[in-house]
Parts: sequence; C-alpha cells; structure tokens
Amino acid sequence: MGIKIGNAPFRDRVQEGIENDFMRGAVSSAQGRFRSGRLKAAEELGDWEDWRTLGEEIRSHTLQNLDYYLEQLSEQVSKRGGKVFFAQTAEEANEYIRNVVQKKEAKKIVKSKSMVTEEIGLNETLEKAGAEVVETDLGEWILQMDEDPPSHIVTPALHKNKEQIRETFASKKGYKNSDLPEELATFAREQLRKEFLSADVGITGCNFAVAESGAVTFVTNEGNARLVTALPETQISVMGMERLVPTWEELDVMVSLLTRAAVGQKLTSYVTSITGTKQEDEVDGPEDYHLVIVDNGRSKILGTEFQSALHCIRCAACINVCPVYRHVGGHSYGSVYPGPIGAVLTPLLDGYDDHKDLPYASTLCAACTEACPVKIPLHEHLVRHREIIVEKEKKAPRSERMMMDGFAKWGSHPAAYKLSTKMARKALKPWTKEEVIQSGPGPLKGWTDVRDFPAPSEQTFRSWFKTRQKGGRS
Amino acid sequence: MKVSLFITCLCDVMASDVGKDTVEILERFGCVVDFPETQTCCGQPAYNSGYVTKAKESMKQMMKAFKHSEYVVSPSGSCVAMLHEYAHLFKDDPEWKEVAQELANKSYELTQFLVDVLGVEDVGATFSGKITYHRSCHMTRLLGVTEAPYKLLKNVKGLEIVDLPLCEDCCGFGGTFAVKQPSISEQMVKEKTEHIAETGADYVVGGDMGCLMNIGGRLSRDDRQVTALHITKILNSH
Amino acid sequence: MSIQNRESFLNNVADQLGRKRRSKGVTRPQYSVEPQWRVFEGATQDELIDKLEDQCRVIHTHFKRSTMDTLTEVISQSIEENDGHAVVAADDKRNDEYGLTSFYENLHDEGVAFHLWDPSKGRENIQFAERADVGITFSDITLAESGTVTLFNHQGNGRSISLLPRTYIAIIPKSTLVPRMSQAVRHIHKAHADGVDVSSCVSFITGPSNSADIEMNLIVGVHGPVKATYIVVEDM
Repeated sequence: MGIKIGNAPFRDRVQEGIENDFMRGAVSSAQGRFRSGRLKAAEELGDWEDWRTLGEEIRSHTLQNLDYYLEQLSEQVSKRGGKVFFAQTAEEANEYIRNVVQKKEAKKIVKSKSMVTEEIGLNETLEKAGAEVVETDLGEWILQMDEDPPSHIVTPALHKNKEQIRETFASKKGYKNSDLPEELATFAREQLRKEFLSADVGITGCNFAVAESGAVTFVTNEGNARLVTALPETQISVMGMERLVPTWEELDVMVSLLTRAAVGQKLTSYVTSITGTKQEDEVDGPEDYHLVIVDNGRSKILGTEFQSALHCIRCAACINVCPVYRHVGGHSYGSVYPGPIGAVLTPLLDGYDDHKDLPYASTLCAACTEACPVKIPLHEHLVRHREIIVEKEKKAPRSERMMMDGFAKWGSHPAAYKLSTKMARKALKPWTKEEVIQSGPGPLKGWTDVRDFPAPSEQTFRSWFKTRQKGGRS
Repeated sequence: MKVSLFITCLCDVMASDVGKDTVEILERFGCVVDFPETQTCCGQPAYNSGYVTKAKESMKQMMKAFKHSEYVVSPSGSCVAMLHEYAHLFKDDPEWKEVAQELANKSYELTQFLVDVLGVEDVGATFSGKITYHRSCHMTRLLGVTEAPYKLLKNVKGLEIVDLPLCEDCCGFGGTFAVKQPSISEQMVKEKTEHIAETGADYVVGGDMGCLMNIGGRLSRDDRQVTALHITKILNSH
Repeated sequence: MSIQNRESFLNNVADQLGRKRRSKGVTRPQYSVEPQWRVFEGATQDELIDKLEDQCRVIHTHFKRSTMDTLTEVISQSIEENDGHAVVAADDKRNDEYGLTSFYENLHDEGVAFHLWDPSKGRENIQFAERADVGITFSDITLAESGTVTLFNHQGNGRSISLLPRTYIAIIPKSTLVPRMSQAVRHIHKAHADGVDVSSCVSFITGPSNSADIEMNLIVGVHGPVKATYIVVEDM
C-alpha cells in the first residue's frame, strides 16, 4: 500500500469521515481515555515538563549525530551475529527482505505491528513473492482480514466496532461466538498461537535501537512482538533510520515518555530488547537475525527547518488531542501517518503533490505541540508547510492569492485600512438582516454556510476614540 | 502609566464595544490610553495561511505604528501572540530585528496586563449571571496566559462560573480555517456549542473575538439561549 | 557482507546534516535535567515493596509475600490457584539456594507435570512451555514504580517460559528491587562499558499481556500470559 492510502480527494475523504457516526463515537471516547491517561501519568510524575525537556535534548543530540550512532549500532549488531542492511528507499528495503524470505523458502511470516513496514508497503511485496504474511497485533490482524488501512498509529483498528469485528472473524475465520471483546481476543489468541508456532520468519518494527550495544527494543502490550522474536528461526527487524538512542540510559527515558504519552502506562506489559542472534545453547530466539535500516525520504528532512519532525517517537499523543482528527478520523488524512504528525511528516516523505491539503487540516490550536513528549513544534511546522505550498510550490488557489494581495495592501496602508473599516458596515448591508448575516457573499459564504456572521458595529472603534479625544465623550 | 491600545482589526470593525470597555478598564486603573492611528492588522490571517511575505508588510506597519509606545495592550490573546512571534520572524532582518523584539517585549493581552503588570485581580466589577469560560487556544498555548482571566472573573460580584466540558478543545475558528474547511469547522463548533449549552450558562465568555464570533454565530444559527460575550464586557460592568 | 550499503547511506546522512561524516569523538551531552533519578529517591527496600504492591493493583497482577522458608509453600499455592497441571521453570542458579530444586522434583509426586528448561533438549522446551499452564522465573532486577520484572534471558532461562504458559509467576528477591527502569539500565550500560556480555534478550515484563484494540476495552490476556503472580521473597 505504501504511505499513501486511497485516491479520493481530501474533501471527499473528510466528508466520508464526518458522516461515519460509529467511527466518530469511537474516536471521541478513545480520545477521552487516551487524554486522561496521559494527563494522569504526567501528573503522577510531577515533573513532566522536565521529562519532555530531557526527551527533546536526547532526540536532538541523537539526530545531530545520526551517522555516528547508526555506524555504532550496525557494528554492534554485526558483532552479535546479526546482519545489517541500509536501505535508501522503500524498494531497496522490500527487495532485501524478499530475498531473505525467498532464500529461506519461507512460506509463513508472522509480523508484529510496525508503522515503517506499512509505510514501505512490505506486505504486498512479500505476498507477491508467494509468502503468507500474518499480522499478529490484534488490531492489525483485524485490518488485514478486511484489507483496511490503519487509522491510528497506536490502536490501528480504532475505527471499527466489536460487531464489525465479530462479523469479520465469522466470515473470514469461521468464528461462532459473541462480540464480547474478551471472547474475540481469546479467539485471536488461539488462532494466532498456531501461526506463531508454524512461522518460518518473524518480522518486527523497532521502537528504539540502542547504539552502544545493538539492542533493538519493542514496546508492546499484547506480547505478540515477543512471540515473533522468540519463536521463528529467522527474524527481521525494520527500523526507520531515526529510531535509535545512544545508550541504554536514554532508552529508559524514551520508553518512559513513550508509554506515558501513548497509553498513560508507566511501562507497557512488555519492553523487550533483543541483540543479534540467540547465543550458543539458547533454545529460543532467532538463529538468523537481520536489521533493515530505512531512509525512504528521511534524510531529506535532516538539516532543514523540519528536522525535529524526525524526533517523533510515534506515541500518537498529538493524534489523541487533535480536535480535527476527532471529527474526521484517521483515514481522512490519506496517509498511514494520520493526525498532526501525519500532516507534518507525510508531505515531507511523499511530497506535496498528493498531500498539499494536509497542512491545512488544522486550526493551529497547538494542542499537538503541547502534548508532544519530545516537544516537536507541530503547529509551527504546519505553518511552514503552508508557506512552502504558497510561496515555493505556488499551489495556492488563485482567488486566495488575490485576496492575500489585497490583504498586504490593506495591512500596510493605514489610510486604505481606515477607509475599509469605515465602509464595512455599508458594504455588507445588502446581506444584513436584523444585525445578522445568514448568507454572506464571496469568501464569507464558507462562514455563513455553517454559522451566522454579525453585522459590523455601527461605529468603528477608531472613530469612537477620535470623537472621544476631541472631548465629545460618548 | 502610558498604554497604547492595539484594538485588532476584528474588534475595530466588528465589536467596537470591546475597545471602549478596554479603554475604560485601563483608565480606571490609572493608565493613560492612546490609540496609534496608523495601526492595522497583526498579519495573522495571511501568516497562518502561508503568505508570510505578504503578512510581513502588515507586520512592518504595526511595528512602525507602535514604535514609540511604552506598553501595547490588546483585548486579544491570539493577536498578541502574533506580535510576540515577530521577534522570531524578523530575527534575520537587520532593519527590523530590534524593533520586532521590542514590540514583542512590550505587548500584553489585556487580562495578562491587568494581573501581571498592574497587579490587579479585582477590577471592582459586578455582573449577575451564570457564565462559562472559553479558554482560547492561542491565548493559553501560544501566549501562555492561563490563569489571569479566571482570577479576574472570580472576583466579579454576582457572577457564577461553571466549568466547560472539554474546555481544552479548539472551537473550530482557526482564522481562515473557518472558511477554508467549513465542514470540519462546523463539526468543531457544533460540539463546542453543545458543550456550552450543557452547562446551562447564560453567557459564554472569552478573550478572543475570533472564537467568540465563531461560537456566537453558531449559537445564533441554532437559536440557542446563550450569548457570547467578550470578557471586557463583564470586567467593565457595574 | 554482514553490513551492506552503509558507507553511501551514512555519507548521505552527513551531507544532509551539512558536515563531514562523524565516526568517532561523539560524547553524550550533559543533559540539562535528569528527573528520572528523583523517582523514589532514598526509598528503603521495604518502601519499594509497598510501591510495588500498589502498582500490582494497576497492572492486574497478584502480589504475594514470602520468606525463604515459606516460598515453596506460596509457589505451590499459586500453582494450585492457577489450575497448574503442567509447570515449566527456568534453570536458575538461585534454584538451590531458594530450595526450589527439590520442590520442583517433588511436583511430579503431586501430579503436576514439571519441566526444567534444558538447552540440550532443544525445541522440546518450547513445546512443553506451549502446553504448560504455569511458567516460573526469578526476577533479576525489579522496578517498583512500574511493577516490572527484568529478565536477562539465557541458556537456562528461555524466552518462552514467561511468555507461552497461561500464567506467569515471578519470584522476586527483595534485594532485586530498585526504584525504576533507570537503575536497571544503568546496570546494563555499565556492564556493557566493562565489556561484560549482556544477554541477547532483556525482557521487561509488567504484569499479564493485554490489549485495548477492540473499542478501547482493556482485555487482560492476549498473546502472552493471561494471569501473572509476583512473589516477593525476604532475602535480606
């Protein structure tokens, strides 16, 4: 599938989202839980702002020295028997992984949830090569059966309800029980156990790699990543090239921030660090281990004003507080990365042509920036994107450009400005009824389509002030 | 104390009462208020839409207009946050760098100025009614003014303040967002006004005219019996 | 061939960062704040145990205390409570010291199938663990704040023991308690710096597995254990 999901225009995707009542109910209640969880976790720490500062400093130092730490990481993994492949593009990564799978003559592959493999469209490549790929994260497994893309980066099937899930299990897997979440999960446990035990290859993403020792860390609750890394003899971890920390000490801080910001937990059930292949005499763990480090457009972001977007640790805190995401849902963004971070990252990784609407899917309320555990100035990045779209890419509509030409003249010529303020009431008179405009002209239409617009004041403030100064107090 | 009023384009044209109340409140606490006539708009509508070069033309006019002011005070958290941003936007422009920084340093939102600079928490106002407060995003998150409006409102006699559920969520105004993305904006303001109505308040009070026009416009469209009021109206009532 | 494409990849990274490639001489900065060391600073082992007990309620984990003398009794009880007919345990060097070796040997007499992890038996270990009702390991370092046991998996302590059975029992010597993850990773960081080979798999385990993927309902017990019991042992 790749980073872009769906071809419908942004406006249509948004409309579809708005009309999806179940999805919106699910998203708003999920946002409620995520938000209170995060706030409670932050409150329990007491010094959340210090943690954020530390998180930002760690991410910033790591990105500034990315080549150094990646080299160290690759040396360490290789020392512990692992193979490391640096992939410049999605194609290179997919090609390498396909070769590994084909060499093993692997028939079945189990995967734990990984956003980067969604981004590069790995499953498609492997399926084309004839392998059966089984997603084992409960949410991802549901989506895979329905051939539906994720709508959230932590809980990918957030947009589906239990009735829909029951239906999917019944039609695809012969499930016969109720739609109780516990029963659905028990069924998934039974079904997927067989898959784990019979898989030839396990594929995971990577939350953080530790440069000093080569440990690749997975942060999960279900335990599927542990099964994927413990049982199959061949294991492949795919990581975005920015997903690493210098030492174990920074791993602690980043994991603590991630689990709190993502789900309000002090730690998730499993934080698992594996280093290279299993040791001699170890029974479980991979005999053959591969780490694939993916660029796929990330390096273009380095050294630019957007560099801090690479600090992202994929916690979805920005998504969980976003009032726009709340109403339009994840699929509206047309990217595997939805929400504020998706609106920032997607155009950087995949260009403006298909994603130029995303930076405008925000009121710039800055709730995202406030929630981000590593202090990415997300709303500021959105403004920078808009600036590039307007001034460099020249993709803004003509009518808007003309209006903004007018704005510049208006704002820089006090006399013209004053005159227009004086004229406003008169100019809007034809549309005004009882001091209210219910159907406005031109650009006002977007406003009055959904709410009333007040009539301008009878007297502008500036003329009142002038009269008052002259002694005619009003 | 000499204070220059930055009225904001919205209040100048759409809500001149806000300006009048602001002047009277400031004067009550001994400020001598002037109104630099050549002020225009802070540039935010263009800036937030990506027209940075064009926005800067307006910004330069603002810097000229307030060059000699001691304090700049405005009844809008959002517009003052924009003035503060000038320091960053002109940091590489030798001609404007210093004056941009100066303007940022001396600009205050009204409630912030009353509480932090004048040290006033009780303006001596009386207003009977039940209100809920809409904390606007730019005032709280960009300008960092979170407590001042509450402190002032708490001391208004006769006022009953009720909490607004999900008060941290944006109302859907977002400047040009309201007209560029009307369908999303509609859902946001719809939810916001539903929460406001749930509180049973007679008034929803805020410190930013943009949000209030958005919220008030939707309340009016849905014929709800709640009125949107700028905080200055309450603080200047006796 | 164990590292491919590295040079061009990293040279490009350096180019994009607008400087020469860095292969050495990078040291971690002095961070301006270090809030992690303030958590439970100065707490005694007993206070840490209380914190752990509190946290166990949050993570849906049974919390028990024992002495060296009562440990086997408490384990036996826990196995029974969890309907344990088949038990797999780690071959830990502490087993003798804690009286577990003979206890495990005697489990057979009580009608409980028991398997001690034995690398010479290969994948048989995994097959047994898959059938087992209960898996038992020691905690190497225990994090009071989050209620986490840390396992350095090794030849005798397979990854599957704490993963495949329906119930997981962790034996937590009181001396292994530390405030939080920071102390555990400092230990690993130092070991690594001293050239000590750190385990190929470090597992931080916090209660049973869970998921919130279906309508955000918390489901306890998905792919990993459905239940977890922590037994703190007075070893000090």
